[in-house]
Amino acid sequence: MDPIIATEDLKKIYRLGKVDTPALRGVTLQIQDGEFAAIVGPSGCGKSTLLYLLGGLASPTSGRIFVDGNEYSSMTDAERTRFRRHKVGFVFQRFNLLPTLTARGNIALAQAIHDHGYDPHRFQSVTEMLGIGAKLDHRPFALSGGEQQRVAIARAVVCEPKILLADEPTGNLDSGNSQLVLNMLRTLNRSLHQTILMITHNPEAAAISDRIIHMRDGLVIED
Amino acid sequence: MIGKMIIANVLHRPIRTIVSILAVAIEVGMVLLVVGMTTGMLSQAAARIQGVGADVMVQPSGASLFLGVSAAPMPIKIADLIEQLPHVQAVAPVLLQFNTSGTGGLNLVYGIDPKTFAKVSGGFVFYSGGPLRNPWDVLVDDFYARSKRVKVGDTINLLGHDFHIAGVVEHGKGARLFIPLKTAQDMSGSKNRASIFFVKCTDVGYTDSVLAAVKKLLPDHNVLSVREYMSMMTSNNLPELSDFVTVMIGIAVGIGFLVIFLSMYTTITERTREIGILKSLGASKAYVINAILQEAGLMCIIGIAVGIGGTIGLKILIESNFPTIPVNLTVLWVIRAGALAIGGGLIGSFYPALRAARLDPIDALGYE
Repeated sequence: MDPIIATEDLKKIYRLGKVDTPALRGVTLQIQDGEFAAIVGPSGCGKSTLLYLLGGLASPTSGRIFVDGNEYSSMTDAERTRFRRHKVGFVFQRFNLLPTLTARGNIALAQAIHDHGYDPHRFQSVTEMLGIGAKLDHRPFALSGGEQQRVAIARAVVCEPKILLADEPTGNLDSGNSQLVLNMLRTLNRSLHQTILMITHNPEAAAISDRIIHMRDGLVIED
Repeated sequence: MIGKMIIANVLHRPIRTIVSILAVAIEVGMVLLVVGMTTGMLSQAAARIQGVGADVMVQPSGASLFLGVSAAPMPIKIADLIEQLPHVQAVAPVLLQFNTSGTGGLNLVYGIDPKTFAKVSGGFVFYSGGPLRNPWDVLVDDFYARSKRVKVGDTINLLGHDFHIAGVVEHGKGARLFIPLKTAQDMSGSKNRASIFFVKCTDVGYTDSVLAAVKKLLPDHNVLSVREYMSMMTSNNLPELSDFVTVMIGIAVGIGFLVIFLSMYTTITERTREIGILKSLGASKAYVINAILQEAGLMCIIGIAVGIGGTIGLKILIESNFPTIPVNLTVLWVIRAGALAIGGGLIGSFYPALRAARLDPIDALGYE
């Protein structure tokens, strides 16, 4: 079976003034459909850059990325945006909810952007599964960190993306909420067969995944 | 959903929203007031000329539609020549003077011969007092008396001289102030001269033939029927006024444009992270541009409504406190002012919207 994510010799170099800073030096990996993989490594090893490239938020300097059989390098910026809209969900360390909207509004916004509009059935099943049904009319500032992250997860998966990319999803949470969020991700992976790629510093968080990929200096050093 | 997000954004920063709405309201109000006061004063001036009751007007060549801004006055004996033409019932010579002294503001003063002026106009309707009897008598109309709070027996300074108010008359007879023709001639050094002759026909149906006859008699003069004059009294026929109106509208639109531009520009900077979030959700450039333009459009629409409401309030306030300043509000100009405000607002927000759409999503998500 073809992997849902595949990269070939992926490189990304950031240019700061006249200085080239390589973030990825040639990453080749494959993630299977329905897999829950964690990427671990020290700060600056290129984890986040890899996640952004896989999510189509940036384009690589060289190398190839395949997501669900589509190659990013042949896509325009607009095509990558459309692809992200339909195939990718993001969860961030800082939750990144829109502060002006309620939890309901933040989740519904993803559906609105997705083109297919508001799907009450999917909306309800996701919010119930994540246990935020009672908090839907609260704005982010009125929610705990754990609740905000669950809203962010609901927003990421409400449109049924092929892959869920989580960037340090427990980085801003206490241990209790971290465990809760990790359990949610595990449940999503098990019950909805959701492919998840999670970046984390936390070995306990990584331990919940099926597979741990270690990175250092822009390279995968252990898989 | 985009509507909810826009409304939430607008409510999230109330001061910014109020300032933007007020700027648009001021823009709309400025356009409506400048145009309304200009057209109001023009149409009122034209109506006053019509109220004189004449059918034909004779002015020196090169005279302006603004009565009083005229070339050198004409010999008064011309009145006798016109009077001899067929179908002419009466001719009233009037010497126009602009007064800037004493009363505050600019006033057009008619130097009139009461007898001939009455023949053409049918005579004044007196609210109080009586006709001009002495050289330093003045008649004022009711609007003037009300706005300047003067009455019969008071003394007002006109053309650098004190005049005694002999009567308060009904408005609508050319000017708001009337002094004896001879006094006006003596004060301006225009002995036996007049700035304008108002010609009354024996029947309005003879206007065209009298017009033709006067034109033939006085080929170098500016001869107009009052009907023509009325139709010409628009700012389009007065280039200086038209330019003034255009400049004022330009300034108003510029204010609206700049405030909306600044408001949306700072909004984009402030909400950089939120734009990054939208992009991470797969929002296209068009979606981001559309959201920002709709937000600006919403503020413009509220600003237009506030501007129109405020202008109606100001119109009532101005007209009750300054009866000599009419404000004409027309549906056409309300639509035009609204369109200018919307256009200016959308253009003003387009660059910030484009900038937002072009933001790098990773930089935007990392923005503090």
